[in-house]
Amino acid sequence: MVLRLSLQRCLVHPVSALRRHMILTRPASTTPHSTPPGLLRYSPWSKEFLGSLKTRIFLQSAFYAVGIVTAAGLVDSYLFASRTELEEPVLHYASPQGTKLAIEELRATFPRANAVDTDADTLRTYGFSENSYHPASPHSVVVRPTCTSDVVKIVNISRKYRIPITPYSGATSLEGHTSGYPSGSICLDMSGMDQILQINEADSDLVCQSGARWEDINATLKEKGIPLFFPLDPGPGATIGGMIGTGCSGTNAVRYGTARAEWFLNLTAVLPNGEVIKTRRRARKSAAGFDTTKLFIGAEGTLGIVTEVTLRLTPVIPTKVAMAQFPDVEHAVSAVQEILNTPYGPHIQCVELLDDHMMEAINTAGLVDHPYPVEDTLFFKIQGDPTSIKSTSKAVQDIVKKHGSSRFEFASTDQEAEDLWQNRKYALMSTMAANPGTRCWTTDVCVPVSRLPQLVFETKKDLADSGIQSTIVGHVGDGNFHALILFRDDSELQGVSDAVHRLVHRAVALEGTCTGEHGVGVGKKEYLTDELGEGTVELMRVIKRAIDPLNLMNPGKLYPERRKPKAEEFNRPSA
Amino acid sequence: MNSLFKAWGQHGHRQIYLHSGRHLLTPRSLLVHSGIARRLHSSPSLGEHDVQSRAGANNTSGISSSHILLLATSILSGIVGFAVASGLESSTSVKGGSSQDQQFGTPGDFKQAIEELRQAFPSSDAVSTDPEDLRTHGFSDYDYRPGRLHSVVFYPASTEDVVRMVKIATKYKMPVIPYSGATSLEGHIRSHAVGGICVDISGMDRILEIHGIPLFFPLDPAPGATIGGMLSTGCSGTNAVRYGTAKAEWFLNATVVLPSGEVIKTRRRSRKSSAGFDTTKLFIGAEGTLGIVTEVTIRLAPLLPTTVAVVQFPDLRKATEAVIEVMNQGVGIQCVEAVDDVFMAATNKFGMSARKWPEKDSLFLKFQGPTQASIQETAKIVKKIVEKHGATGFELARNAKEADDLWADRKNANYSGMALLEGAKGWGTDVCVPVSKLPELVYETKKDLAQIGITSTIVGHVGDGNFHALLLFRNEKEYRIAKEAVHRMVHRAIALDGTCTGEHGVGVGKKKYLVEELGAGTVELMKTIKRAIDPLGLFNPGKLYPDDDETDNKPGV
Repeated sequence: MVLRLSLQRCLVHPVSALRRHMILTRPASTTPHSTPPGLLRYSPWSKEFLGSLKTRIFLQSAFYAVGIVTAAGLVDSYLFASRTELEEPVLHYASPQGTKLAIEELRATFPRANAVDTDADTLRTYGFSENSYHPASPHSVVVRPTCTSDVVKIVNISRKYRIPITPYSGATSLEGHTSGYPSGSICLDMSGMDQILQINEADSDLVCQSGARWEDINATLKEKGIPLFFPLDPGPGATIGGMIGTGCSGTNAVRYGTARAEWFLNLTAVLPNGEVIKTRRRARKSAAGFDTTKLFIGAEGTLGIVTEVTLRLTPVIPTKVAMAQFPDVEHAVSAVQEILNTPYGPHIQCVELLDDHMMEAINTAGLVDHPYPVEDTLFFKIQGDPTSIKSTSKAVQDIVKKHGSSRFEFASTDQEAEDLWQNRKYALMSTMAANPGTRCWTTDVCVPVSRLPQLVFETKKDLADSGIQSTIVGHVGDGNFHALILFRDDSELQGVSDAVHRLVHRAVALEGTCTGEHGVGVGKKEYLTDELGEGTVELMRVIKRAIDPLNLMNPGKLYPERRKPKAEEFNRPSA
Repeated sequence: MNSLFKAWGQHGHRQIYLHSGRHLLTPRSLLVHSGIARRLHSSPSLGEHDVQSRAGANNTSGISSSHILLLATSILSGIVGFAVASGLESSTSVKGGSSQDQQFGTPGDFKQAIEELRQAFPSSDAVSTDPEDLRTHGFSDYDYRPGRLHSVVFYPASTEDVVRMVKIATKYKMPVIPYSGATSLEGHIRSHAVGGICVDISGMDRILEIHGIPLFFPLDPAPGATIGGMLSTGCSGTNAVRYGTAKAEWFLNATVVLPSGEVIKTRRRSRKSSAGFDTTKLFIGAEGTLGIVTEVTIRLAPLLPTTVAVVQFPDLRKATEAVIEVMNQGVGIQCVEAVDDVFMAATNKFGMSARKWPEKDSLFLKFQGPTQASIQETAKIVKKIVEKHGATGFELARNAKEADDLWADRKNANYSGMALLEGAKGWGTDVCVPVSKLPELVYETKKDLAQIGITSTIVGHVGDGNFHALLLFRNEKEYRIAKEAVHRMVHRAIALDGTCTGEHGVGVGKKKYLVEELGAGTVELMKTIKRAIDPLGLFNPGKLYPDDDETDNKPGV
């Protein structure tokens, strides 16, 4: 009752009430105690306040202090918290003026010729890719470091001026990983950092810079007569840094696993804060905590720049190449499944599926001496000592026959084996060569092996129904396959893009992944939440934010935006 | 303009706010402090009466000056308050270690948490505070660091149970310590000093789906280990030389309850994927500090015929050299285990073995191949190579029974090691180095142990450069000597480009070596990730991550 009265008074005559109460002096003992006006005794603004002047000042100040702190806190959270919530704080990147200053500083830091390149053609070539049709922008500058400390300097300049960094080396990306950022970006061309630093034959490992090509590494080992090799074999021209960034694999994955296995013993990375870390030492295994090496594998340069790597090597083992034709993909895949689960499985180094269109393309491209039968075909690479190869070949032959294969033949000579394998490795080139005047959209998905026939069957049907020409090659032992989809002009591009979209959804629905080995880049971002779930993607974002709070490392790649992206326009490089 | 622009560029919006905010505040808060001091100094001389009368004078002269005084005071106190508050905030965020006590709830909170757990899981055996239960979960026979009691043991039956438990733990800020096989050697499952919920997942042991049959899971750590524990320590075993470790591709995906209570499945079931960095790998070796793994899809490998051979060498250096050459042949080696002369003596003494072994450094080899013919071929190649390196007494099992017997002698390492010294306890520890450095490490370690008079056996997964020492001790004094010897051994391994633990994990026992091994930057990266995922620090606190002030000279906890 009393409370309501005093409140009423304050509400009805707020100003006069305040005036009356905002008196700092205490009217001392003159106030009659007999009529206490309720709670006002406790209000330091009130005349009836019981405490001393000091108490009065203290209480009033405390009240205002709390008010100010609360207000400041509210303003702070309102103005700034929303900014951290934004997926891509685009606003904070450098203006064109800032970019210019950054380039000046880069030139001053790296005075040697060609280290800092702003030639318009170069920027365009580096920003766009011949291999993909995703939205892209030219870079602002291309910088060519030669050592880890160069990279640190570049990362520091990027942070100082707030310019995104995109690492680049082999440029074999198919999903737009190396494209420029619209507001300007530094393209870090790592391909000059290609030195092999150390070969430890007894430990079967090798230390190299991240710009080294896997083919060059294997060639060097062969030249030096070291009977070891590095078994990850993605597209020709790929470099170690890019292979880590995408979490690559290749035809050997069925026997040796992918980049996510234990082929990278450690790596040296420059973090977004400019710090250089070496993720671990050179022991083949370690249980010392979760392995931060793995964090960079598949991170597509969004968590740091890998500069040096220790690779594990494996012995070179004699191989033999064989080929078998099947009535359809389903028979081929079931044969592979059976072979891999027998004790002979470990002797299969590769098993590749090429569909009838692909075989036809190889014939048409004229890369072989005599034409192959135009049927769904498996290429096997069998490894082991002569006894094992013999027994494995026998077992394979029996099994493929059981699954309806009409033919099984070995490459008669090493040269033929190599040619056969080359044809598989250069599937993209043969496909293009067989269809002059067309362009090619390459994509890959991966599903549990048993689901592969269904996926291939439905995809081929879908493509045929849409009137799209394509070839299919698959690392069938892993359930991974690539579709090379051909088109002639922009009018066909949309149809191709839609077909790829359907293909990815089909794979994800079959408990598979939107990309088996090409990575996410900009091309597959939109499928990531579908595949991994919002929780896992958010975990990835949490890690990204923790390591790169300014979002300077390859922004726009890998992590899907939270909002549904609008229909994107497909910019293409002018041919 | 230029310099202004640079400043802008250096700090950026958010940073500028924080930094400049702090820069502005610091001088001002200093000002405020000095202002308070002056007032305090001056007030005794003025006396209370003076102040009162002056204020009274203000009152008579008009209300506006009292307003100004009031306003000034309140702004000042506001600034003081803000400065104090932000000062507090920054100090707590900078040194998380010192605020350890506020990090967790009070004993009263914990009591309430247990009560709430009981209400959430009314079935009698889901939540246990039975002293015997607490004791078995808090103390380990494998760990000679002092054990501690957990506050409560919780037995979930499903992922949802774990989620509900995590929510309660978060509410009361109670540490969560996952537990299952209890084979840890480095104190992973020890309770935290403030207590905590021990989550015993050993009941969640159903195999949910199998795709494919004449197959096996090749990771083979110690008997009794569970998948959750194997994943969390990043385990391996004798098969690692052929199949790799837990950090390879055997775990296709994991379902994890994050500290936020959210359940994620790290990926789908395809054998490979390049869809971003693999969050599965984040939990492998994280020792339960980033989340609790509740379901896992594991990849299987075909089961191959095997056989076993044993061979003696003049010393371990020769044996290692032979192994390196054998490994580089690419023949079918599934395991290659080195044991030292003391181990062979122990095996003879243990008396389980059917035979008397020559007491020399030896290799146990397990060959695999698709057919008996190919295994024989492998054996032939291996025999030739090892004999080139001075091996003697190459003995190949003639049948499966003999192979099992031979292998059992290696597998009994722990028991036979203990047989060497009556009434002794054993401290098992492991380190790993690049294979070529193994002889040096073993040689130095054996010399060291001989000098200090500690009996120990050495068995090594020599194909990986990994070895285990079982140090025997009978009393407190010998325990301390053994502990120092382990300390030196770890330093030796790290100096040889190796690791403080090849397969046992970090736990509390090895965390002081982590900075030396990985560098401060890498450890800080790990902590950054830990903080980002578990900001309250409730998941298995005190394990894995070295404290900021932890140096390796301080004795272990």
